[in-house]
Amino acid sequence: MLLCDFHIHTTFSDGSLELRKTIDLFGQAGFDVIAITDHVVNGDNVMGKFARQFNLSIRGDNFDEYLQAIRMEAERACGKYGMLVIPGVEISKNYVSKEESAHLLLLDIKEFIPACMNYDEIFLEAKRQNTLTVACHPHHTPDMVNKDTLYLWNNRDKYAKYIDAWEIANRDDVFNVISLKKYPYVANSDFHKARHLYSWKTLLNCDKNVESVKNCIRHNKGVAITLFRN
Amino acid sequence: MTVFIICAVISIAGIILYLLQAGAAYSLIKKKKVSVCLTAMHEPDYTPQVSILKPLKGLDDNLFDNLSSFCNQNYPSYEILFCLQDINDPAYKVARRVQERSPGRNISIVVEKCNIGLNPKVNNLIPAYRRARHPYVLISDSNVMVDENYLQEIMRFTADPSVGLVSNLIRGIGGRSLGALFENLHLNSFIIGSVSFLDRVLGMPCVIGKSMLMKKDDLEALGGLDAFKDILAEDFIIGREMQRSGKKVVLSNYVISNVNEYWGVKRFLNRHTRWGKLRWNIGGAKYISELLVNPVFIATLPILFMGPSQGTLSLAAFISLIKVLGDSMIGRTIESSAASTYNHKQSSLVYFLAPIKDILIGILWFVPLLSSTVVWRGNRYIIGKDSRLSPCSENEAWSWGFRITERRRARVA
Repeated sequence: MLLCDFHIHTTFSDGSLELRKTIDLFGQAGFDVIAITDHVVNGDNVMGKFARQFNLSIRGDNFDEYLQAIRMEAERACGKYGMLVIPGVEISKNYVSKEESAHLLLLDIKEFIPACMNYDEIFLEAKRQNTLTVACHPHHTPDMVNKDTLYLWNNRDKYAKYIDAWEIANRDDVFNVISLKKYPYVANSDFHKARHLYSWKTLLNCDKNVESVKNCIRHNKGVAITLFRN
Repeated sequence: MTVFIICAVISIAGIILYLLQAGAAYSLIKKKKVSVCLTAMHEPDYTPQVSILKPLKGLDDNLFDNLSSFCNQNYPSYEILFCLQDINDPAYKVARRVQERSPGRNISIVVEKCNIGLNPKVNNLIPAYRRARHPYVLISDSNVMVDENYLQEIMRFTADPSVGLVSNLIRGIGGRSLGALFENLHLNSFIIGSVSFLDRVLGMPCVIGKSMLMKKDDLEALGGLDAFKDILAEDFIIGREMQRSGKKVVLSNYVISNVNEYWGVKRFLNRHTRWGKLRWNIGGAKYISELLVNPVFIATLPILFMGPSQGTLSLAAFISLIKVLGDSMIGRTIESSAASTYNHKQSSLVYFLAPIKDILIGILWFVPLLSSTVVWRGNRYIIGKDSRLSPCSENEAWSWGFRITERRRARVA
């Protein structure tokens, strides 16, 4: 089984470790597949503008640099640790109301997708690029610091068909509603700090290449979750 | 005023002792290189076979590189035995990957549950020790990283048949969190200074288990690893028993790296509480001298007792400044002499954390006087003389305190 984490932030957005150190941390711990998914924040409100102002978001003008850096590190990780690194982003649509907010992982992204596009446009663009879409922390969390992002779950009847998988577990939280609905699932760390290494993870029974990983998650066969502890 | 004068005298005496320790560390690092080279000149082809035992439990910082560094040794014949108690340990996967990446090396992974004793590290080592095929065994912790000449350098000491054990100086590297920075500062000042001082000045071996090279026959003569299965400070006691048996215990000046990157402060405090309890139970009254070599803590006591004033603050600031400069000097000496492939340059500003670390260590110094139980790797024990462990009864008073704390913690979570 491949030990995987598809939700990892670096200093390209609000993570505390730079990309190289993040890759090393997961490589040294024996991971097989990871995805780097820094935030792309919507710039159409004060929160988004603040995030962009303080470089807590990937923007159109630094996306190529971001992608290039991940590709270089992916090559190094493959050679040194035998670890597959997938480039991705976390589309972060943040609003005052948690009912309107949503975060969406796009894995194996090739071109920049702005977060201020509407959901239909984002899903269409994601499909065009053949990215894997994962709705992250889709339900209520007991976390006092981070705000809930409920839009995709509340509108699941409309959007579930565009979403390849849902986060059934995020860091320490488990969303049992996902299992009740029998949606495809993954579990991720939402890694921001070194200690987040020890959290929920996904196990995949497939080959270690991008297409196999994407297919395995989409078909949701050979997928398991595990609480990775030291 | 009397308190101030007493503290000032003790802290100045402490600074002098500290400077002696720093001098011992400096002279050890610089001087002994000559003798190693001479040995090598006399015995250029001296390369006996050695079994490296690596006990693994959980993911240490930099684990993959730490283990890999032992696969790249410039040494003709050696085997590596990674030993684990549980195949589901996350370190197993890393060990497997290291093994796969070094197909030309003789690497075995020994997974065997062994509950022969109370020391979990010795329990972990015993199955691999029994499988070790070579006449020399090197016990090396999983959080240690070395360069490719390490084995060659330390094996040279064994050319002298009177040498029974070779240990190494240890430095801490890689601090990226406050706890890790404290740990590394402590390793690079108090630990390296004390070990060097004991070796150079007092002729007392102070073996730290991060690297222990022994002839298997010599260890067997002491009863093998089984004889130390219930000793928590098995490293120190093995060194002491080896010396008592008439063999030399050598401290190599080849500095090995202990990679500590992401420690929390709690982990730092836990480790040094445990180590303090070990030293108290082994050293007894000698443990008091440790407070003397913590001049920063002593110098801050007048502030506590008499309140901040120009005199008390000046004393604390003066002693702290000397300590910062001293730690910085030792740190630079170690850095210039240690060979390492680890790529992380530490800022000189971290030495200004040394006084805070020393105050914390000073507070921890009192804990062993009040408690003789220790929790290590999830196990709780009572420490007796020479750090001999005995199991903690579940019915004793501490266990109720422990249960109440755990219940409270669970409720808060």
